[in-house]
Amino acid sequence: MLKVRQVSKVYEGKVSYRALSDINLNVEDNEFVGIMGPSGSGKTTLLNMIATIDEPTTGEILINGKDPHRLKKEKLAQFRRRELGFVFQDFNLLHTLTVEENMVLPLTLDGKKVSEMKKKAKEIAAKLGITEIMNKRTYEISGGQAQRAAVARAMIHTPKLLLADEPTGNLDSKSSKDVMEMLESINEKEKTTMLLVTHDPQAASYCNRVVFIRDGKFYSEIHRGDNRQAFFQKIIDTLSLMGGDSNDFSSVRV
Amino acid sequence: MTFRQFAFNNVVRNKRLYAAYFLTSLFTVMVFFTFSIFASHPQLTGDNMDSYISFGMNVAAGIIYVFSFFFVLYSMSSFLQSRKKEFGLLMMQGMSMKQIRSMVFLENMFIGLLATIGGIGLGLIFSKGILLIAENVLIIDNELPFYFPTQPILLTFGCFMVLFFLISLFVSYVLRSRKLIDLIKGDKKSKGEPKANLFLTILAVLLLGTGYAVALTVDGLKVIVAMVPVILVVIIGTYLLFTQLSVFIIRRLKKNENIFWHKTNMILFSDLSFRMKDNARSFFLVAIISTVAFSAIGSLYGFQSYLTAGIKQVYQTTISYQDYETGNEEVNVSYIDETLQEENMDMDKEQITLHYYELPDKPRIFITRESDYNRIADLSDNETLQVDDGAPALVSPEMILLGIGGSISDVQEEDMLKDAVLELDEDTAIEPEHLILSNVLPSNREYYVVSDQDFENLPESAAEENYYAWQEAEDKEIPLSLAEKLDDKLSTEGIHIGQYEEYVVNKAYGPILFVGLFIGIVFFVSAGSFLYFRLYSDLDEDKKKFQAITKMGLTEKELKKVLNRQTALLFFAPIAVALVHGAVALTALSHMFFYSLVKESAIVLGLFLIIQIVYFFIVRFYYIRQIKQALR
Repeated sequence: MLKVRQVSKVYEGKVSYRALSDINLNVEDNEFVGIMGPSGSGKTTLLNMIATIDEPTTGEILINGKDPHRLKKEKLAQFRRRELGFVFQDFNLLHTLTVEENMVLPLTLDGKKVSEMKKKAKEIAAKLGITEIMNKRTYEISGGQAQRAAVARAMIHTPKLLLADEPTGNLDSKSSKDVMEMLESINEKEKTTMLLVTHDPQAASYCNRVVFIRDGKFYSEIHRGDNRQAFFQKIIDTLSLMGGDSNDFSSVRV
Repeated sequence: MTFRQFAFNNVVRNKRLYAAYFLTSLFTVMVFFTFSIFASHPQLTGDNMDSYISFGMNVAAGIIYVFSFFFVLYSMSSFLQSRKKEFGLLMMQGMSMKQIRSMVFLENMFIGLLATIGGIGLGLIFSKGILLIAENVLIIDNELPFYFPTQPILLTFGCFMVLFFLISLFVSYVLRSRKLIDLIKGDKKSKGEPKANLFLTILAVLLLGTGYAVALTVDGLKVIVAMVPVILVVIIGTYLLFTQLSVFIIRRLKKNENIFWHKTNMILFSDLSFRMKDNARSFFLVAIISTVAFSAIGSLYGFQSYLTAGIKQVYQTTISYQDYETGNEEVNVSYIDETLQEENMDMDKEQITLHYYELPDKPRIFITRESDYNRIADLSDNETLQVDDGAPALVSPEMILLGIGGSISDVQEEDMLKDAVLELDEDTAIEPEHLILSNVLPSNREYYVVSDQDFENLPESAAEENYYAWQEAEDKEIPLSLAEKLDDKLSTEGIHIGQYEEYVVNKAYGPILFVGLFIGIVFFVSAGSFLYFRLYSDLDEDKKKFQAITKMGLTEKELKKVLNRQTALLFFAPIAVALVHGAVALTALSHMFFYSLVKESAIVLGLFLIIQIVYFFIVRFYYIRQIKQALR
């Protein structure tokens, strides 16, 4: 589904800065992959390049065997709105539109029929449990509802790849849990491949696999077994190992 | 770093932020300065000018000054609005409101000083240009040489330092105590969608409708009576149009999903209804200011063409002479002939005799021969008459200046012909058979043309007068010096030189036209700046919005389309309203004079529209570029 090959990113400027070096990542169809790392590790840079918002300095990124970075600007925009779905930390809903209108926005840009858009919006809202807030404005709903609306917008055109950048960053723990459970169930039922960038070990524990990067380099990766709680603990352990000294390990486990 | 250095560095190191405000101030100073250079030019203030003109100049300067004040105040407050966050940050660092005010005061005085000096400098550079334009618009005997304008410099400097000082004091009003949280969150607060009141919406339509209907139907002196109420009604109507009707229409459009959900419309319309709240007031201001500019320039220009057309109509030949019973008729006519010969002018000359009759209960009238009439008509390239025996013609002058003539209906024509039956004595009566509108012979009331045969049978006339007419062989104008020479000598004896009288009118009218143009253009340009400020106050919000949408996939074409429409609506909605207002006002004006101003109105309104279109393209280019840079 997604192949990242030897990707590096250098930000040029008065002081040039290497944000990523030689990253390799393969994501299979229907996989739910988390990317973790401390602040400044380059995880959002990586996601932006996969999202085709940014371009790698070297290396290539293939989505379904094609390199979207070779597309012309117009085609690229169309590629983004047809093949990819985005979920952002600050929701990025337009406050001038209702929830329903926000959801259908990518479809309107493609010039779909109103009846078709209505039908799709209704279906997806029913699945995500946001039918009651369809006609509300964005400032009339809670953060969790807003993020679910944003997921609905990202899912409305049934993208092959859903990219989420800190989707739980602005949410309380209950809402975070709701949103993550929803993403997990979309991943299972709709067979959508997902890529999640997060700080939050709780959120990351919903993934099948978590990739750690530090200082722009691949650090390690761990797979989830059957138990989400155990996976959560493994994530914590890796983070503390990565972040500091070895005595940060939980003494009970080691 | 002292506090003063802090304020100073704020400005110097952040030039881009202050640029728009600085340029506005600079422009205002420059306008005022160039105007005062012109108004206090030694050529114009000396004995050459009437005192009422210099009074008019001072009034105009006053208008420009008052207007500058509000204009700078407006740009200042919209500039401060965009710095809310910065003030919040400073307050969080422990700056008191008093300190912020004094900081803004210092900054503003600093910018004001720079703008005043810069504006005067730029004004000096352009002053020769403005004097050249003035020379051409105003018909001035001597040219306006460049002079070093000490007095205008001092005046402008003094006036604008006072202006900036007052505006700096006003800042405390603009920055009245707000909660810190409001300042920091400033732009994030949702303003809520404005709603339209149905009653006020209908009222807007009614007010505008009746205003227009009254303005378009009244004529003559009724226009003056109707003017003030119509203006009031239309101003209120315009305000409601932008605050209510526009919101109403946008909301209706939004409810129609086939339109609202069509491609990029959603992005465009959604913001429109929100911004309408802020836009409405600017739109209203811009529409009214532009209407004033359009109407002022349109009526000045229209009035000038009305006067000159009136003169042209009265004087059909280059020179005419009809003696004022001076007894010097022969001397004068031969003087004209000789003078023309001396200057080697190639002139055609005709002379006819007008036979006057006096009848009881009727004004003195004259009767002329068909052949006499036709000779003068030939000379002045007018249509000749075919008058049959026993079928005299009644000729009615067409004089727009007196409101005489124009179109005459068949019924009116019959009445006029019936009234014009003339019984010269028991045997002879003149019963005119048809009515002709013409200015071939000088008269301000009807006269009669009879066939040569009939003329022989007329009784003796009470008086006879000669009418002499000269026409340049190729219908060209004669040299101004020659016209002036003849007019100086003979204007009290009976000479009329249309070309010279037109020149005299234009000369007297020039300063008024120039001042009107100047103020109109200042109003119009500042109306454009209002729109520019309005657009740029939404820049940050737009940047954020388009960043979000492009991530989801918005092509560059679509982005341009949305921005293009957004900017076009902002630039042309108020101007379109102003154009319609202006057109209606000029139509009413033309009804007042019974003189068609279609051509003049079209020229003035068309020119303004073209300027606005050019302005739109420039602003759109920069705005799209700014947004695109933010998306990179």
